[in-house]
Amino acid sequence: MNCLQFDESIALYLYDELSEEQRAGFETHLAACAQCGARLEETRRLHRVLSERPSPQPTPELLVQCRAALDDALDRELAGVSWKSLFEQWASTLGAISRLPAAATLALVVLGFTLGWTLRPHSGAVRGGPGNATLSAMGDTDLNNMRINAISQVAPSPQNGEVRITVNAERQMTLEGSLDDPRIRQVLVEAVKGYDNPGIRHDSMEVLARQADEPPVRSALLYAIQNDPNAGVRLDALNAAAQRMEWCPELRQALLNTVEHDRNRGVRVAAIDFLADHADQATLPALERLATRDPDRYVRLKSVRAIRKLQGY
Amino acid sequence: MDGCLTLAGNIPAQSSSLAGEDESALIRRAQHGDRAAFDALVRLYDQQVLRLVLKMVQSPDEARDLYQEAFLKIYRSLSRFRFESRFSTWLYRVVMNVCFDHLRRQKARDEVQGVDSEDSDTDFFQTIADDQPGRDPERTLRASEIRRRIGRALARLGPRERMVFELRHFQGLKLRAIGELCGTSEETAKNSLFRATQKLRLQLGDLV
Repeated sequence: MNCLQFDESIALYLYDELSEEQRAGFETHLAACAQCGARLEETRRLHRVLSERPSPQPTPELLVQCRAALDDALDRELAGVSWKSLFEQWASTLGAISRLPAAATLALVVLGFTLGWTLRPHSGAVRGGPGNATLSAMGDTDLNNMRINAISQVAPSPQNGEVRITVNAERQMTLEGSLDDPRIRQVLVEAVKGYDNPGIRHDSMEVLARQADEPPVRSALLYAIQNDPNAGVRLDALNAAAQRMEWCPELRQALLNTVEHDRNRGVRVAAIDFLADHADQATLPALERLATRDPDRYVRLKSVRAIRKLQGY
Repeated sequence: MDGCLTLAGNIPAQSSSLAGEDESALIRRAQHGDRAAFDALVRLYDQQVLRLVLKMVQSPDEARDLYQEAFLKIYRSLSRFRFESRFSTWLYRVVMNVCFDHLRRQKARDEVQGVDSEDSDTDFFQTIADDQPGRDPERTLRASEIRRRIGRALARLGPRERMVFELRHFQGLKLRAIGELCGTSEETAKNSLFRATQKLRLQLGDLV
């Protein structure tokens, strides 16, 4: 065991995570190297300092508050499930597919009195004529949030007093579903690639990262790593791709582009770390260039360490 | 997964009518929509969960939010638990993902807003009362400063580094168990631990 390997093993030794063979090598080196011995003692002292950190215990009041808040949240969850089921049945019957943020053409069909009455407590109500028919809403939609661009048809029905209105509108709506639904996934992919709010891009990426190897998600993550204007979002995309995506030439190239061209030091260093974690010799030339020519000293140091790791030191 | 026994702790005594019912039966009933059974499962684990999330956040309000987020996710995905692993392992994996996501959001938010943890004035641990009121004021002040420095150094770790270090150093879990809880490999956990230790050494070197 050399000094670099010893240094990398100190924490594992103190936590008793070394194998018998590794421990023997560690202790042999320890007996022969005073400098490494000093490093070991320094880390032991660090652990003692860290023991000064208090271990916060939950107070009974906090626990009660948490349980009460969870109780309320579960009640709301259960209430939402029944409306969601109704909505899903209705949507599948009509074959409704919605996309954000594009305008959608909606066919608003006034349902029969019984269904409309059932949905009434959770929908915006539009009063019709003296027959008092209510307009059903989809999910959380409120007609007041809708901007109607055009009305293409108004078709009253003399038999039952209902009316069919076909509108071209933009409206806010809530979509709920699983990431396994390609429609949900598509909305999130578009948000990652083009939405102007970095918080939304970040949140969308967090969700998508669970399926990092699906082709549209993969493409979105690789795009975000290299093109997102926000460093925090680029870092998130990098973490998600490097930790959850299968290693592949596209990912390697995205990381190499990042280490050489990203304007944020933290993102570049994170990319170097991930390159070092994958034993891909094709990255060596780029790392060698960084190690000798990069103007940032810390980046040069990290590149040297990454090269050593790739070379098995 | 011996490390998980440390987190799981002891099952607290139950005074409800569900006392004595084994965990598997509770899970099955909860999976079929029995709310009381789910509440009983929550009571089995929530103190440990709250203790864990308190270490990751900066305030009791944030801890409450993470607690709720974790148990709501557990509730929504309970039907996918197939008894192929220990329930505690599966549960803490959900909790770890919630904590990890929170730390990443926090990091991204700090970066977007240009906040360095150096500038942050929120240090939950500063609000914890010294449990020895009769202590020497100078020692109390120094202890408070050390705690603040530790909190700041931990906050500067990357999300994965922070989680691995918290679980290994403060919770005593083995790296293999940590890897499983965090959905990654033991090797990645080791690398994270190494980087965390290096960074803490840099940040706190003058205190050792």
